Amino acid sequence: MREVFSLRQGRAPRTLFRIFNFTLMIGLLVLMFIPIVKVFSDSLDLSTTYGLTFWPKNFSLEAYKSIFTNKSLFMPLLVSFGTTIAGTGLGLLLTTLGAYVLRKRNLVGRGFLSKFIFITMIFNGGIIPTFLVLKVIGMTNTLWAVILPSALNVFNLILMRNFFEQIPESLFESAEMDGASPLHVFLVIVIPLSQAALASIGLFFAVQYWNEFFQYVIYISSTELYNFQIKLRELVLSDQNMNDPALVGFGNTVKNAAVVVAMLPFFVLYPFVQKYFTAGVTMGAVKE
Amino acid sequence: MALKTYRDLGKKLSNDLVYYIMFLPVLVFALVFSYAPMAGVFLSFTKFKSTSPDGPEFIGFDNFENLFVGIKSDLFWTSFGNTIFLSLTNLILATVLSVVIALLLNELVSRKGRSFIQTVIYLPHFMSWVVVASIFTIVLSPSDGLINNIMKFFGAKDPIYFLADEDWWTPIYLFINRWKETGWGTIIYLAALTTISPEQYEAAEVDGAGRFRQMLVITLPALYTTIFIVFILNLGKVLNIFESVFVLQNPLVYDKSDVLTTFAYRVGVKDGNYGLGTAIDLFKSFMGLVLVLTTDAINRRIRGSSVL
Repeated sequence: MREVFSLRQGRAPRTLFRIFNFTLMIGLLVLMFIPIVKVFSDSLDLSTTYGLTFWPKNFSLEAYKSIFTNKSLFMPLLVSFGTTIAGTGLGLLLTTLGAYVLRKRNLVGRGFLSKFIFITMIFNGGIIPTFLVLKVIGMTNTLWAVILPSALNVFNLILMRNFFEQIPESLFESAEMDGASPLHVFLVIVIPLSQAALASIGLFFAVQYWNEFFQYVIYISSTELYNFQIKLRELVLSDQNMNDPALVGFGNTVKNAAVVVAMLPFFVLYPFVQKYFTAGVTMGAVKE
Repeated sequence: MALKTYRDLGKKLSNDLVYYIMFLPVLVFALVFSYAPMAGVFLSFTKFKSTSPDGPEFIGFDNFENLFVGIKSDLFWTSFGNTIFLSLTNLILATVLSVVIALLLNELVSRKGRSFIQTVIYLPHFMSWVVVASIFTIVLSPSDGLINNIMKFFGAKDPIYFLADEDWWTPIYLFINRWKETGWGTIIYLAALTTISPEQYEAAEVDGAGRFRQMLVITLPALYTTIFIVFILNLGKVLNIFESVFVLQNPLVYDKSDVLTTFAYRVGVKDGNYGLGTAIDLFKSFMGLVLVLTTDAINRRIRGSSVL
């Protein structure tokens, strides 16, 4: 409706403002794109110096081939994929179960359970006590240490509960009248009705696990358990790895290619899921 | 539902039991990974290192004394000051830039153009800090980095070591933060903008208010509440900055970049001084709680309702 108004108005300041705004937006896009485009272009370029070009001079896919054929880079990639899939599955399981119970209106002790969970959002023991607990139960230096602790995410749980609360109560009541057990209602009514929420929160989890970095720094000491983020940092921020067979000859190109690989899965998925992401954020914000 | 008979009661209890069983995994995870570590904060009052043969030894408030006035006080107060300065500046920049960009996006006539720009500026939010730090380490590199190459092209003689230079580190850090998160920050304001009724603009138009004036008297006031809530919610997290600093800092710029969390990490994990590291963390959590409660109290007074 407002567009109609603005089109009708042909005053000079308005046009000036539009030109100004348009230029600013183009500037914004350029600022966002330049670093990414530069890294992408250099990842396909075998030149020894890149200079100011945004287009590969010596085009080659060698760097990408190196990532997928060298164990030192390919294994971390597998760890990333594996932990992301396992973590997302487990995370969704805990989130839906918890949210389903916390939405149940006249459940005895619901208030207590909610508080018990929400408190963990405000208080935490800190890095060292958490490390020591994981050490005591024998999880340090195993991938469990990076999968299990992040699987319970209270923020996601609240989002999911808010979503479940939008399902009409009458659906639950009639199912209960028919004698359906809570588990049955959960599997047959709630889950099928929540695909948008599952997609959006599932992706939150996937991003979290794929991007996980610091937990590896603290809990993992064997290099064969490193994920791709750790490997990428090692490659880019330090030069220790120049003897690595994967890097000989075109180390800088591999660095750039590793950055691209580390962000690629979400670049590919992103356009399809953007609406779920933003829906999830506003859903949480409005309810909070 | 009223419970008419014992059978109803039995049914309800057995139903509830199923719910409790379904909740059990969540409970176990919270207990093991959140509550058990919370119990570990007592280590703040002990002398305990990774090399200690006999485990923790109670020393009262000695760790805190060391931090506040003792041998670690220089490093501690530097990191405390940096934490406050870096995250407050970042928070203020975030608020201003996100609101301005949301307003400008809102003025764009082309819907397609708007949603394209939104897609692009949201993207970096999903990149890990390692990826973003890697991109900018490459782009800002003194050897063959894009920025230094551009400056060389315009006649600069020596390359600048942006991330290893004390004067450059802070502005670069803030810029990278904004590059990554400003777009994502606009979402909430754009959502709030859609709730303004078009009639208000029509009325203003009739009264002869131009577009800029409409923005000042209608759009911006409509955003005040949202700006306030977002600001307060983020104020509570001010002390938690960690990963962004961790991946961008290096020993050459500790003076400008060290924050409480990175300091705690170095002391507690790298040097293996568990007692002292936990003490820094506990101080951070305590201050964070004070911040949250204070801001919420202010908020309750002004808006009459709690954010928490």
